[in-house]
Amino acid sequence: MGTCYPKAATPKSVVLSKLIHLSWATSLCLTGAVLVTAVGCRDRQPPVTTAQGAQQLDFNQDVQPILASNCFSCHGPDPEMRKAGLRLDLKESAFAKRPQHPDAIVPGHPEQSELIKRIESKDPHYLMPQSPQGDAKPMKAADIAILREWIKEGAVYRPHWAFQKPVKPRLPVVQSNDWAKTPIDMLVLARLKKEGLHPSPEADKDTLIRRVTLDLTGLLPTPAEVSAFVNDESPQAYEHVVDRLLASKSYGEARARYWMDYARYADTYGLHYDNSRDIWPYRDYVIRSFNNNKPFDQFAMEQIAGDLLPAKNLDPLIASGYVRLGVSSNEGGTIPEELRVNMARERTKAYGATFMGLTVGCAVCHDHKYDPTTQKDFYSLSAFFNNIDELPFNGDRPVWTPVARVPKPQNTEAYDRVLAKRSELAGQLNAARLQERDLAKRWLASKQNPPEAVSADKLMLRLRLDEGGGEVLKNSAPNAHPASFPIGKSKSQWGETTWLWPDFRIDASTHIMLGQTGDKDWNQPFSLGGWFMLRAAPNYTVESTSGALISKMDTTQHNRGWDLSVEKGILSVDLVNEEPKEKAKPKKATVKNGVLTKEPFDYPTPTDLTAKDLAPNKPPPKKDAHKKEVAGKKNSKKPAAEMAKDRTPVVAIKVSTVDPLPLDGKWRHVSFTYDGSGKASGVKIYVNGAAVATRVVFDALGHSTIRTQAPMQLGWRYPDATPAQDTRYQDIRFYGRALTADEAKRLPYEDYVAEITRKPQAKWNQDQWHVVSEFYLNDVNANYRAIQSQIDQLDAQLDKLSEGGPLTLVAWEKPSIAYADVLTRGVYTARTERVEANTPHFLPPLPAGMPHNRLALAKWTVSAENPLTARVTVNRMWNELFGAGLVETTEDFGIMGQRPSHPELLDWLAVEFRESGWDVKHMYKLMVMSETYRQSAKSTPEQLAKDPKNLLLAHGPRFRMDAEMLRDVALESGGLLENKIGGPSVKPYQPANVWEQVSIGGSDTLAYVQQHGDALYRRSMYTYWKRMAMMPDMEAFDAPMRDEACTRRQRTDTPLQALVTMNDVQWVEAARALAQRVIETGGKQPEQRIKLMSDILLSHDPPPKMDSVLESSLTQMEKHYAADPKAARELIEVGEKKSDASIPAPELAAWTMVASEMLNLDETVTK
Amino acid sequence: MKQHPLCTDTEHAPSVMDLPIPAGLKQEWASLQTRRRFLGRTGKVLGWAALASLLGDRALSGDAQAASTQSASAAPAAGDWRLPYFAPKAKRAIYLFMSGGPPQMDLLDYKPNLAALYDKDIPDSVRGAQQLTGMTAGQARFPIAPSHWAFQRYGKSGTWVSDLLPYTARMVDDLTIIKTTNTDAINHEPAIMLMNTGNMNAGKPCLGSWLAYGLGSMNDNLPTFMVLQTKVNAKENNQPVSSRLWSSGFLSSEYAGVGLRSAGDLVLYLTDPNGVDREVRRKMLDAVNAINQQTSQELGDPETNSRISQYEMAYRMQASVPELADLSKEPQSTWDLYGPEAKEPGTFAYNCLMARRMAERDVRFVQVYKRGWDVHGDVTGVLPILCQETDRGCYALVTDLKQRGLLDDTLVIWAGEFGRTVYSQGGLTHDNYGRDHHPRCFTTWMTGGGARPGITYGETDEYSYNIVKDPVPVRDFNATILHCLGIDHNKLTYKIQGLDQKLTGTTPASVVPGLLA
Repeated sequence: MGTCYPKAATPKSVVLSKLIHLSWATSLCLTGAVLVTAVGCRDRQPPVTTAQGAQQLDFNQDVQPILASNCFSCHGPDPEMRKAGLRLDLKESAFAKRPQHPDAIVPGHPEQSELIKRIESKDPHYLMPQSPQGDAKPMKAADIAILREWIKEGAVYRPHWAFQKPVKPRLPVVQSNDWAKTPIDMLVLARLKKEGLHPSPEADKDTLIRRVTLDLTGLLPTPAEVSAFVNDESPQAYEHVVDRLLASKSYGEARARYWMDYARYADTYGLHYDNSRDIWPYRDYVIRSFNNNKPFDQFAMEQIAGDLLPAKNLDPLIASGYVRLGVSSNEGGTIPEELRVNMARERTKAYGATFMGLTVGCAVCHDHKYDPTTQKDFYSLSAFFNNIDELPFNGDRPVWTPVARVPKPQNTEAYDRVLAKRSELAGQLNAARLQERDLAKRWLASKQNPPEAVSADKLMLRLRLDEGGGEVLKNSAPNAHPASFPIGKSKSQWGETTWLWPDFRIDASTHIMLGQTGDKDWNQPFSLGGWFMLRAAPNYTVESTSGALISKMDTTQHNRGWDLSVEKGILSVDLVNEEPKEKAKPKKATVKNGVLTKEPFDYPTPTDLTAKDLAPNKPPPKKDAHKKEVAGKKNSKKPAAEMAKDRTPVVAIKVSTVDPLPLDGKWRHVSFTYDGSGKASGVKIYVNGAAVATRVVFDALGHSTIRTQAPMQLGWRYPDATPAQDTRYQDIRFYGRALTADEAKRLPYEDYVAEITRKPQAKWNQDQWHVVSEFYLNDVNANYRAIQSQIDQLDAQLDKLSEGGPLTLVAWEKPSIAYADVLTRGVYTARTERVEANTPHFLPPLPAGMPHNRLALAKWTVSAENPLTARVTVNRMWNELFGAGLVETTEDFGIMGQRPSHPELLDWLAVEFRESGWDVKHMYKLMVMSETYRQSAKSTPEQLAKDPKNLLLAHGPRFRMDAEMLRDVALESGGLLENKIGGPSVKPYQPANVWEQVSIGGSDTLAYVQQHGDALYRRSMYTYWKRMAMMPDMEAFDAPMRDEACTRRQRTDTPLQALVTMNDVQWVEAARALAQRVIETGGKQPEQRIKLMSDILLSHDPPPKMDSVLESSLTQMEKHYAADPKAARELIEVGEKKSDASIPAPELAAWTMVASEMLNLDETVTK
Repeated sequence: MKQHPLCTDTEHAPSVMDLPIPAGLKQEWASLQTRRRFLGRTGKVLGWAALASLLGDRALSGDAQAASTQSASAAPAAGDWRLPYFAPKAKRAIYLFMSGGPPQMDLLDYKPNLAALYDKDIPDSVRGAQQLTGMTAGQARFPIAPSHWAFQRYGKSGTWVSDLLPYTARMVDDLTIIKTTNTDAINHEPAIMLMNTGNMNAGKPCLGSWLAYGLGSMNDNLPTFMVLQTKVNAKENNQPVSSRLWSSGFLSSEYAGVGLRSAGDLVLYLTDPNGVDREVRRKMLDAVNAINQQTSQELGDPETNSRISQYEMAYRMQASVPELADLSKEPQSTWDLYGPEAKEPGTFAYNCLMARRMAERDVRFVQVYKRGWDVHGDVTGVLPILCQETDRGCYALVTDLKQRGLLDDTLVIWAGEFGRTVYSQGGLTHDNYGRDHHPRCFTTWMTGGGARPGITYGETDEYSYNIVKDPVPVRDFNATILHCLGIDHNKLTYKIQGLDQKLTGTTPASVVPGLLA
């Protein structure tokens, strides 16, 4: 229900007799003595050799589809599934000699080809193809004949059509050229002729204006517009209508309505709590873009990488919300790494469907079985979407950073001025980044400010944690003793993310014991530092971050020892002789002002999000339901009681940071130094190399020992206490001396850069280059730094100028390298190979000289070399207007996709689109101006028989309207439609208990709160879209759930739809409003009113039969309601808009039923 | 005889008229098709299995094969029709879905030795490298929580049942209890999807849709596949459900489940608006049909005819659905059996009664959702409520079907999406404990058409943590269900993007013979 499925949307009512006709019709076609190429589902027929000679087969059209569907699953691109070492999708491998196997294909000799022998065999064990279970699945005789013929003709392979750049075809010479005026028509006519069909006459003007108005604006033409057009006899009359429609504001809404399916737009996250999220400004951006006729290349680039484009206004950034439109989760208990993989995967599939027209998702678990898309291709593509500066879960919040705040209209101008300045500066930074390696090389060659290492003096422990696996961790300190530590059987995670290098994370059960390293007493100076990423996971609040990052402390001995710990984001250094069992915690007061209300943001994210913005949508008590220790109420009191008994005095130093670390899933370098003074003042804490403000909690160690036999360890206190769960670590150091402030500053980056630069540049890997470049740009290049600080100032202004504006989710690229991991069978933990962002190997390469990020992908997407984007896009336009694409499988241009019904036409349109400057309105105009589009929709039995889906276009399009258009038309006909553009989504009527019966308690979409007034009558594209409980009237008419990109909808015909249009309060109210309108403005006579109704809904006067049926129905209804005025009143009171009290209830009720009849006509609901 | 896979007009509709079968059979098929029209399915959708059962006898007697050899020039694909299916044991199914994950060791997976292990940590060797949910991954200890309830043996089979399930206990000799169902997912969303659709990710058709697609409808007035939601109880932890679970995925949306609702319209938009009675509706439809027929004649679009028949179907549903839900004629014995709460729409007992009434009316597949089983904490507080809400309804449904002779050809299934941990989530006391999600084993049962009654299948270890004998992964569970309905899970496929998609997915699945009668 309501799902989008990648199968051709076909009329659901093809009756059985049609199936019979079909096969019968095929043989008719053959009399034309031409090879029947695949049109729809007609059976293939063997090529017919005419007296004139053999017809050459077209590999793409005729042969490849047969090979693909019958052979490729075992003899195609996927090596895992390949049987007998035979691969048939490539010429080289198909012709290759295989030891102990007869030749599969011997060009020119079908009888010697094993392939033919196999498919013709009568022996079920020898016969091919076979199912995975080994059952023979014999091929059709017709297909076998084609393969035979193809081998006989020399078994010519050609590259897949869709991966070749489109070129404008030579237009056919058309004889009867009064019909074919445009290139579209010439190409359509040529094909019709070939099939022995003829175009239909032009549709009546009233039909035509209704069709084109619905197509271009999603609304009906007014009776006045219809009559103006009908009476306009000028040759340009139609073109004038088209131009008017293209210029109307409703045009952008109509186009955006389709695009929302392609982009998977929704107002909720789609899983578990399915809470609301703020992203409607993206929808309004789409409307605006279509109305301004933004060139499609720009439109596409902004959505894929708007955050990386220079911007004069906020639109590109708002557009980048496209990336984040997909389903996301915050289900308690889910694992962040899995969620991150899922998100990148979701975005990759969506991009593949919408921009490439490929089912790249098939390569998640294995190489694609049909297309050349390898698994590596898929993950390389997914890497583009794997580098967004976000947490992998949404926090159940309406905003999930990064977000942008849209300035209020009165501030827009000022905002855009600042933004333009910012763009210019950001452009300079980007220019520097583009040549960062050259700049860094020049810097190093100059010997100016060379990177300075931190002295390895008394470096006792250095755990780089770059082993990537294995049983031991190496201690790379000079003269290290011990030189390694066993990991044991404990579980650690490697390579989930990349920082300096692929990283290391301890898991719940990981214990890393570092022995007596770090054995120091109160009077011995020491220092510790390293990169840490605190765990961020669904339902981990700041409160949950608590425990030891590194310790050498014995909790069984009153915590004797030392540690670096984190508690609610506050870092503490403890040096303890003894203290009570329940360790003192930093005061809560500090935390309150910090992390709870703010998160750190780069531009464009507002820096002053309120607590309300950031608050989870669900009420707090529910949020931690999973973590709640229901049985533990008594338990939780226990420790308090025990603590009271523990009267151990505090003999310890405890120094804590004032500001908590944000829980943002980012890497931070933390270090501390202790000078051996026995005083709290001897402890300094550094974050990212800078000393941070600290508070002294205890300063009562004095000269008491802190030595303990407990081992030093990562993540726990001895023996098994208070872990800082699941922390990531890199480059952990322990020095037996107090580092100076300058050394602490150099510890995070500079020291490592110095180490790298000691090696020849040729040996640096990608990650090392990245570290050096980052260091150079941020710490050495003064200009870069200065620009960055100017940008920071501008960002503050932007924040100010956008105060109070609506928030919207956007994409924001991290400075890191975009990587992904190839995952065995798609399992998120089964990483095999780290890959850099890249486009599929069988398509043109990325533009040279650019970092491999989304901007490069965006440019590639709309480059002249890209064979797919233009084709895929014009094909969807065609699908919107004609009800079926030239390639029916709009989402699949791959090997298994349908072949284009008109390949030359598709290519002509694609090239025209690009050459026109990606002019969208131009393309729609070309299509609706064509004679092909303007044909009458009336179909003849002959056409139905030969081409039931009208793929050859022998008559005009006719199909049921989509869900949104239907409701809009109903509202419009009764004058109810509130035609206002944009704004937050609205909640019109909905039957009771649709959300409630499926949602989880605590969700902000648990209860549907219907709005009133105008909100009831907005266009349907503004209706709030909850993924887990769709608007049922939309769902009934095949609106997709938008869990994934949907490039064409199903078009079913069900009794549930009839129930909607007969009984839904919106339709009953619309019927009454329409009745009232014709009573008030149509005249006194029933036939006048019926005429007006017909003019409104159908754009023409009622034919006599309709008129007489409706008039006699009216008489019946009048009689009925005159006899039952109570029923009449009840009927006209349906809906919130009050009816005109001056009209007698029985009259209005009777007319309401007549209006309902008209609204339910096949002709009304059909475009 | 399968259509060309590139053919997108397609429900894989084989053109029966092209089959090498006798003309009489074709005619019979055509008339069957007419009877099967429902929800827009005007002929093109066949219900393969239905066709197979129609052809079955003759194929067995050799007629079809004879016909096949006679017309050798016809496509050789008759192989697809040679008894791909077999006489089904069950014609219909009722699935009682216990959303949230019932704790198996408190209900049907009796572990007497746990009492002695109270508050002991579960050995690492048992837990192994198990990935824990984020909810308990941070627990320092994993203390064993033995079940709070006593178990007794019941029936001739001597099956152990918790005191929480006195009614279920009475019917153990009818049940096929599976202790070793297991899944790959550890959190609700993916686990529920996997259980309902055979895949953790959304977008695949659910079991009910596969059945509707494969078997077609058995009645003219009601949907093929209906879904019932049980009212939520605020005391319980109600994980959400969504229409994805009864979605038809890539199959046509006409195979999606239709909700029968406990509040408002029984089926969405079913009721005529105020002031419109049956007579007015009929007149209105007459007018609409008259004009539509005219349109059809003028434009020749087959869609128009289809629309006419859908409006008629809608009209019939407006009568048949209220009749379905009208309990006024149920005898006192019904209420004695189901209990008084069965009178209240939306209770589990009511839904069970409705499921029986749907079975009587030949609704192919009924799915009842009962949420709330996600007992992370307060097991002793919440679990008795859950059992009280569901235990009697399950028993009543099975007993009722049995009494009416419907159990022989109705398969009833009881299952959640995973089990729960033997160790306590959160604090453990003698009075209370919590249990986290557990994918490695959970208990389900089935009964009726095709299932072997009175057995317990599979064994778990003494912690109810790992399976020691006869695992039943979800795909095998689903394969077995399909088998009971006469469907070979490898053959009920739908080609999409080049792949023969099926309910049981790509990992090889097999029917579990030990579960079959």
